[in-house]
Amino acid sequence: MPENNLLEMKQIEIQFPGVKALDKVDFSLRAGEIHSLLGENGAGKSTLIKCLTGVNRKDAGTITLEGKEIQPQSPQNAMELGISTVYQEVNLCPNLTVAENIFVGRQPMRRGQIDWRTINRRAKELMARFHLDIDVSRPLSYYSTAIQQMVAIARAVDVQAKILILDEPTSSLDDNEVQLLFDVMNELKAEGMGIIFITHFLDQVFAVSDRLTILRNGHLVGTFGIHDITKVELVTQMVGKDMDTIFNLKRASVAPDAPYMLTAKHIGAPGQVDDISITLKKGELIGFAGLLGSGRTETAEMLFGANRFTSGEMELDGKKAEVKKPYDALMQGMAFCPEDRKRDGIIGDLSIRENIALAVQARRGFLHPLSVKEQNKLADKYIQALGIATPDAEKKIGELSGGNQQKVILARWMATDPKVLILDEPTRGIDIGAKAEIQRLMLEMCGDGVSVIFISSELDEIIRCSNRVIVMRDREKVAELDGDTCTQEKILSIIAEGSAAAGGEA
Amino acid sequence: MKKKFDFSVLARSKVTWAVVAEALILLVCLFVRPDFFSISYQPTTEMLYGNLIDIVNRSSEITIIAMGMTLVIALGGTDLSVGALVAVSGAIALKFLRWDVTIYNTPGDYTVYPFILVLVVPLAVCTLMGLFNGFLIAKADIQPIIATLILMVCGRGIAQILTNGKQFTTQYSPFRVIGQGSFLFLPMPIIITAIVVAAVALFVRKTAFGTFVEAVGINRKAARLSGINAQLIIFIVYALTGFLSGISGMIYSSRIMSNDSNNAGLNFEMDAILAVVIGGTSMTGGKFSLLGTVLGSIIIRTIVNLVYYFGIASEATMAFKAVIIAVVIVLQSEPVRNYFAKHSKARQNLVSGGARG
Repeated sequence: MPENNLLEMKQIEIQFPGVKALDKVDFSLRAGEIHSLLGENGAGKSTLIKCLTGVNRKDAGTITLEGKEIQPQSPQNAMELGISTVYQEVNLCPNLTVAENIFVGRQPMRRGQIDWRTINRRAKELMARFHLDIDVSRPLSYYSTAIQQMVAIARAVDVQAKILILDEPTSSLDDNEVQLLFDVMNELKAEGMGIIFITHFLDQVFAVSDRLTILRNGHLVGTFGIHDITKVELVTQMVGKDMDTIFNLKRASVAPDAPYMLTAKHIGAPGQVDDISITLKKGELIGFAGLLGSGRTETAEMLFGANRFTSGEMELDGKKAEVKKPYDALMQGMAFCPEDRKRDGIIGDLSIRENIALAVQARRGFLHPLSVKEQNKLADKYIQALGIATPDAEKKIGELSGGNQQKVILARWMATDPKVLILDEPTRGIDIGAKAEIQRLMLEMCGDGVSVIFISSELDEIIRCSNRVIVMRDREKVAELDGDTCTQEKILSIIAEGSAAAGGEA
Repeated sequence: MKKKFDFSVLARSKVTWAVVAEALILLVCLFVRPDFFSISYQPTTEMLYGNLIDIVNRSSEITIIAMGMTLVIALGGTDLSVGALVAVSGAIALKFLRWDVTIYNTPGDYTVYPFILVLVVPLAVCTLMGLFNGFLIAKADIQPIIATLILMVCGRGIAQILTNGKQFTTQYSPFRVIGQGSFLFLPMPIIITAIVVAAVALFVRKTAFGTFVEAVGINRKAARLSGINAQLIIFIVYALTGFLSGISGMIYSSRIMSNDSNNAGLNFEMDAILAVVIGGTSMTGGKFSLLGTVLGSIIIRTIVNLVYYFGIASEATMAFKAVIIAVVIVLQSEPVRNYFAKHSKARQNLVSGGARG
């Protein structure tokens, strides 16, 4: 195949204070190609992309686009050069209409006025290209995340892009929506566009890309054709360790006579989950499986008092528990890592130290402060125990990678010595190495007698870790399976068919 | 080895630029009128006099309020009612000093009700009004700017009602001490301010209160899910701000030995917010600096004094103030600070590189 590269990045180096973020990295992209960029968090994927989009300046190396050397100065500048980016979090304006979002900043004008008719017509045409027949004059927030994502892509594509960068576009999409996105990507590819695709979902990499490039710790591991590498090889290359050693995890062993730590009897709240009962033994881990919106998160939030349950009752450690707000739950030995860690978990501008000490401090009340020395001790202990990658405890948590942020949130709760720990999607959007580590930590805590509720969309990790699996569907508990005997197929069929299939298992 | 001092950190700090701004303004004063800095001792009042003293003295009312305002802004809110509360505080104090004006119709060195009531009731009422703000914001979830607008508008009305729309005067000497007395050769307001600043600073930094305020200001939901009682924090902050407005109001009315429902504390909310912003606390909430706020308040007063001292026409005062504040704020803006930080870093590298070579 002739080396007909649309984009060529050679010997890229970027130096951040204290670390070399990228060290002599090569990357190339052909026209009409989907090229996946892979690596763990902190491997340098985002830095490479930011270098291309002009957010970060490179310290050495060259970037050539269609044979001409370019120096992107800003995202705006990169866009003018034909490099468009769609980020993980949709960064459009939810209160503007779909059409406005697509054309904001470059509205077609007619006689000195914005030409609304053209805007709406062209937006409609554009969305039709994406097989979406939607009302473009409705506000963006009216539509699902998937459609919002499509609108973001439509906007990126409509600016005559030669290169489209998709940074984790699928993390909040369901299977059908992902398929829709892939169709669009393939069409764009057929039109000769070069697409850089960043994702944590390895299946998707194999489903859609032509080539892939792996980065690790700022170094280039290699670029491979999609048929020249297997999934196991890929993971091994990304992590730099063998898969087996990572996933060699054992379920928690629960003594048959272990006392019940948490018993929820028919708890429910209007608009949340009507009626759910859960038991959890000391040192046990139960997994919550189910689709997004099946009531998993709502149940967790009720247990922790983030949303108050209005019917039913709950016992913690044998005593009746009144949980009206998170503070009550904290005081009674519960802990909760929320699903959306950016929105509900981290306090972005505070340091790692302050973030870790927060829940312990909240329990003591503000009049009994931990001294800075005690806070440092706590922070250092967990930075080491959890392997949080940071130069020191004073770094802002907002500046850490997703996996490390999750570890800090976990540390915040581990520091409170909880009896019951609820983890809502603790492994979402973080790389495979960190994922395995969080699972290991979870199981270690079970070993220490903590009872864990583990919510995840990834069935394989639910099955790998859980003593029991609770399957949720349409805001109801439809089945409770034994961890040793349950399989992905069984869970999937229950989710698909509902309670009928579950009868024999419960 | 001694750790090398990193100037770029200093250059990135907003407080540094507040110091630079104040120094520059004073430098201008020094050039134009060297006697701006003269300080003299007045034996009859046992007080030091001079522009510098006067600046700190006159900035007291704003500095005290701005301590509370810093926390309010760190929570991501604003409190527009502080100026009105200053008027309320003064009105209540004078009400107690002169209760029934038809009987006590000539002002003199007396108080109708015990002095302790004159001191305590205005502060208690202002604290309650602060709690009312806190209730609207924490419980009813009303935007702070709207919630506090209520008392901003009707606070002065309440002050008018309390005093039947009249302006009372008093000559009660213990009351005079608050605003015009002296202690350790310094005007009493400076002493009161120092105590307030120290108390607030100790409260927020020696307990975990400051961290909780920052946590709630940065991400209220995450703070709540971490077990912080965000509503309680909001209540305390607004109540404290009300209380501090009350103190400020006492100083103000003691200076004029009168209540003035229309003009007492007028535009104080704006000056207090400005002091906080100049001091480097972001209006979006989060990290705050009490020291910065004190500086901010002093900068504002320095400008006013400079205008008076140089005999700039009083009509031009506001415009002049606006120009200087615009310059200060631009100096503190992100791009400018980053520019200087980069610059100082480059120079430092040059210096250390040269030393090595």
